[in-house]
Amino acid sequence: MNRRASTYALPFFLALTFAFFCVFAPRFATSANLENLMAGYAFVAIVAIGQSFPILLKGIDLSIGAIVALAGIVTLDLSLIFHWPGLAVIPAVLVVAALAGAVNGLLIVYLRLQPFIATLATLAAYRGLVFLISGRQLFPELSTTPITDPWIVALDTYFDIGSALGVSDFIQLPGLPLSFVILVVLLIGFQVLLLATRFGRDLYAVGGNHEAARLAGIRTRRVTILAYTISGTCAGVAALLLVARLTTSTEALGNGMELTAISAAVIGGVSLQGGVGTAWGPVLGAFLLGVVLIGLTLLGVTQFVQQILTGAILLAAVCQSRLIAARQQRRTDAALVAGG
Amino acid sequence: MSEINHEAPQPKRRGFIKTLVAGSVTAGGAAAGLLGDVDPVDGSFGMRQAQAQANAGPVKMAFIEWQPHTVPAAWSKGIEDVLKSQAGVQYKLLDGQNKVEVQVSLMDTLINEGTSVIFLQPIDSVALAPSINKAKRAGIPVITLNIDATAPHAAHVEMSHYYGAMDIARVMGEKMGGKGDVAILNAPPGIVIRDQRTKGFVDGMKKHHPSIKVVADQVADWSRKKAQDVLATILAAKPGLAGVYGVNDSMALGAVDVAKEKGLLGKMVIFGNDGERDALESIEKAELTGTQYTDVFQQGRFAAASATVLASGQVPATAFKKQAHLLMPYVIVTKENVAQIQPSQRW
Amino acid sequence: MDSSTPVIEARGLSKVYGSVTALADADFRVMPGEVRALVGANGAGKSTLIKILTGAIAPTSGTVTVNAEPAALGSPTEMIRRGVACIYQHSNLAPAMTVLDNIFLGRQPTRRFGFLDRKRQREMARALLDLHGIQLDLDAVVSTLPTVKQKEVEIMKALALDARVLLMDEPTGWLSASEVAKLHDTIRALKTRGVGIVYISHMLDEIYAVCDTMTIMRDGRIVAQSAVSEMPRPRMVELMVGEKLARDASDAAHLQRKPHGSGEVRLRCTRLSRLGAFTDVSFELHAGEILCITGLIGAKRTELVQAIFGSHPFDEGTMELNGARVKFRSPGEAMAHGVGFVPEDRHREGLMLGLSVTENLIMTTLDRCRRGPALLRKRIEQVSRDAIRALNVRPADGRLAVRQLSGGNQQKVLLGKWLNLGPGVLMLDEPTVGVDVGAKAEIYSILRAERDKGTAILVVSSDLEEVMTIADRIAIMVSGRMVSVQSANELTMADIVREIGRKAA
Repeated sequence: MNRRASTYALPFFLALTFAFFCVFAPRFATSANLENLMAGYAFVAIVAIGQSFPILLKGIDLSIGAIVALAGIVTLDLSLIFHWPGLAVIPAVLVVAALAGAVNGLLIVYLRLQPFIATLATLAAYRGLVFLISGRQLFPELSTTPITDPWIVALDTYFDIGSALGVSDFIQLPGLPLSFVILVVLLIGFQVLLLATRFGRDLYAVGGNHEAARLAGIRTRRVTILAYTISGTCAGVAALLLVARLTTSTEALGNGMELTAISAAVIGGVSLQGGVGTAWGPVLGAFLLGVVLIGLTLLGVTQFVQQILTGAILLAAVCQSRLIAARQQRRTDAALVAGG
Repeated sequence: MSEINHEAPQPKRRGFIKTLVAGSVTAGGAAAGLLGDVDPVDGSFGMRQAQAQANAGPVKMAFIEWQPHTVPAAWSKGIEDVLKSQAGVQYKLLDGQNKVEVQVSLMDTLINEGTSVIFLQPIDSVALAPSINKAKRAGIPVITLNIDATAPHAAHVEMSHYYGAMDIARVMGEKMGGKGDVAILNAPPGIVIRDQRTKGFVDGMKKHHPSIKVVADQVADWSRKKAQDVLATILAAKPGLAGVYGVNDSMALGAVDVAKEKGLLGKMVIFGNDGERDALESIEKAELTGTQYTDVFQQGRFAAASATVLASGQVPATAFKKQAHLLMPYVIVTKENVAQIQPSQRW
Repeated sequence: MDSSTPVIEARGLSKVYGSVTALADADFRVMPGEVRALVGANGAGKSTLIKILTGAIAPTSGTVTVNAEPAALGSPTEMIRRGVACIYQHSNLAPAMTVLDNIFLGRQPTRRFGFLDRKRQREMARALLDLHGIQLDLDAVVSTLPTVKQKEVEIMKALALDARVLLMDEPTGWLSASEVAKLHDTIRALKTRGVGIVYISHMLDEIYAVCDTMTIMRDGRIVAQSAVSEMPRPRMVELMVGEKLARDASDAAHLQRKPHGSGEVRLRCTRLSRLGAFTDVSFELHAGEILCITGLIGAKRTELVQAIFGSHPFDEGTMELNGARVKFRSPGEAMAHGVGFVPEDRHREGLMLGLSVTENLIMTTLDRCRRGPALLRKRIEQVSRDAIRALNVRPADGRLAVRQLSGGNQQKVLLGKWLNLGPGVLMLDEPTVGVDVGAKAEIYSILRAERDKGTAILVVSSDLEEVMTIADRIAIMVSGRMVSVQSANELTMADIVREIGRKAA
């Protein structure tokens, strides 16, 4: 399978799975279900995009779930305790999330900690911090108070594209969630960043061969810190969307989300060896997981089997990339002997 | 709409079973009474039921639990007992995996699937409110178990957390002779029933036994093992502890373990909350002093009974102006009355 | 540019790592348009000098000026900015990126806001390729290219920096004769534009073909600098390895040599090949002899020995041990047949640094020191004591953690671990790298003692002095092929140096 073909394997597989469920799972091919799919997995996809940046650098960010919780609880505190208007809360939360991500970058660059260790430590620290600052702990009545700020609630709007396009008489289109629109915007933005800017080239260089990048004069420290900051910020965006959907935040928000994000990224072709990956890969990976999980639920398959199948998909994705790499190596070796 | 509220008294004279039966009748009657205040002619839900009957498709019901545990498992069994005797009803149990996002996503899927009634054990009262509202708009009644949600919905069936805890305090105080120090082994913060059970206990002590002091309130994560560690630490600081209240049975049993180890069984009064089988056995062995027992199977059956009524199509979910609130009857179980709880009621 | 100002000048450079002096008091200078060769044996200090000049490391003392202006040391960015470019031996490319991006790694041309100017980048690359007559597919992913082409990309990357000084560290390792000639043409073209070039190589033919001047290093010092035309080859070799040693050592060793040992063939390899490593290697190893395989880095000697040992088996060919056909698929298998292998990187592949001397020594022979699952303490301690005494490990305490010993003593422990096995065949890869002179001599006599006991010994070594000291027979490998196997009595140091530097046909 040459490089071109391998890039199309995932979209193809996603389309295939989608078609399968449309045919076999009751109520899958309905506008309501598509809405659920988009609304339910847009934030997962956003976190997955964020996660792909550290992975591109041959690192990992285990703390994104905790950053989601942190951002969520800050949203709650600012809205319900300090009564800030939503217009101020949103940027503040993004700043907090970005800083939380930057801390990871700083630990890795200046304390020379392995990314696994550094983000594991911040995972624990941020989770603890969440409980410490949680408005729901400090003022128990807040655990039964929903957030009603119009700006924040507006993050959970659905656009009626059916009427907008004038086709609602013929076919029922799903309402387009704002979270999905935000996802698409971020996707385009990051994809452009990766492919068409110097920063993107530098990212791939540092991930592909850190020493070569350093010797070539790339500011590897800056690149690393920025990558983790991006990861944190994406977690912040996802947190805001999630809080809007739930009208509250819990201390356990985002528990385990890091593993889902990593799975989505790996399925999406971001290599754990660093230096290989895109922004749209993790998005497809996240929606593949969503399609499979929702489809299986509609088919009545138990959740244990669902988890097994998710693991199998992850395994298949990894094996596919290993196979391609091995084939590549063999071809290069053969060419070497032939030419040498 | 009337609030079904089981009145305080302990069934000292009346047999335990009789109480429960009386309770069920009341609840059932109250469910019937639900129909009293309501305007039955809103079209949507009735249409759905009629549709289901017209299609001769099965009526679908589902329960989204917090995560696998003895309590929701017992609820599910109770629900199944009632539903399986009815033709044409499909029921399934879904795992919320301890994540709010998962529960919300499952709610979406169930609503889309055309479920008729949803049972829900919300992980968070506010976070699930939008989903409950969405269900209401689709004409689907939602019945919550043990943990209430901030959006009004068809019914809420809970163990009597607050009043039960008050009664625990009363009985426990009597066992302690009306004085002494008490420690609370508590749940992790952020869970509504934790607050209800703690407040009930504290209020109960203040009301019935003002000389008893709560000297410690530590988190033991609902876990037996953690409770052992926590109590051992508390005892080191306060060796004269006369009583321990575990906000669930697992933690209380952990306290029993520590007491046994240190030879303090006769000297400490230990109470739990829930009424698990292990706790009842421990009471019989004169180790655990007491607990609040709720027939959890019965709780599931009540919920299912209400569901059946709602699914009959007579009452549209959107018409509820005030939510039905069912407090489960309970018994404060001690050595004296533990024998009255039948094996089939132990969960 | 003033042609009397050196493009790069270093004065008094030294680099000390703890107690090891890698470079001592080096003065080095390259004029515009000059091609200066840098020669010396492995460990002579060449790599250290290059790393300082490119800013990869900072020297312990000394200064460097570029075009008569002092340069900040230890910063690769600074050196690149000043026009000092280097092509290293190992790949300095990002394997998953395209040739086009690698050529401008870290410096792709941009428009506003950091957006890449692809058009200009492609034009610049095209111009560069045309200027030097190199053919490269700009959109190919580097990891899919054969090493030959990757080297070309590296050269293009360096040239794209418009370098004033170009350092090349063993640039022709994988190039064929015609490709080397092309590289030399490129170098001559750069000369005319006033670029100074430092050419580090063992290939004497190439040095005499393209270089103007040479600098010879040995043991961390510069021992001679002269024009190439004024340095005859034999004299150059003597300077590289030390005059006295070149003459005396071979005389004395001559007496102790036993080519073909006892005559019995212990190991016979016939036409061994492994794709991407070595091709068509055949030789015999006799009991009671020491066979040294020498060659340059890249000759794939380590790969050959690993294949024999089973840690990375060969694809084709046959191997016979004591007359029986064998092919080891794992080191365990090889060990069970009495074949031992002392690897090159003793820290990563040989010793458990955190464990004690005793624990390391008995690692290969645990089975003899236990009854069922229980370890026999007394026997273990006996074995350890004997080994420590025989090898003269100092300090002579089996309980010390291995990491606390000096390099030489660590190597003795590693050797002891394998000797304990009582192997019929013992293979060693660069056994005295980083070992002090005294321990070196001890290790040589240990090896000779083993040989006299009848063990067949195979030593891979780049240290020509070492080869001349202990080898009974010498095999030379070039680019994965074994080009000659001869008795050590028939070869002089100069012969070896010449052979190694010759291209395989």
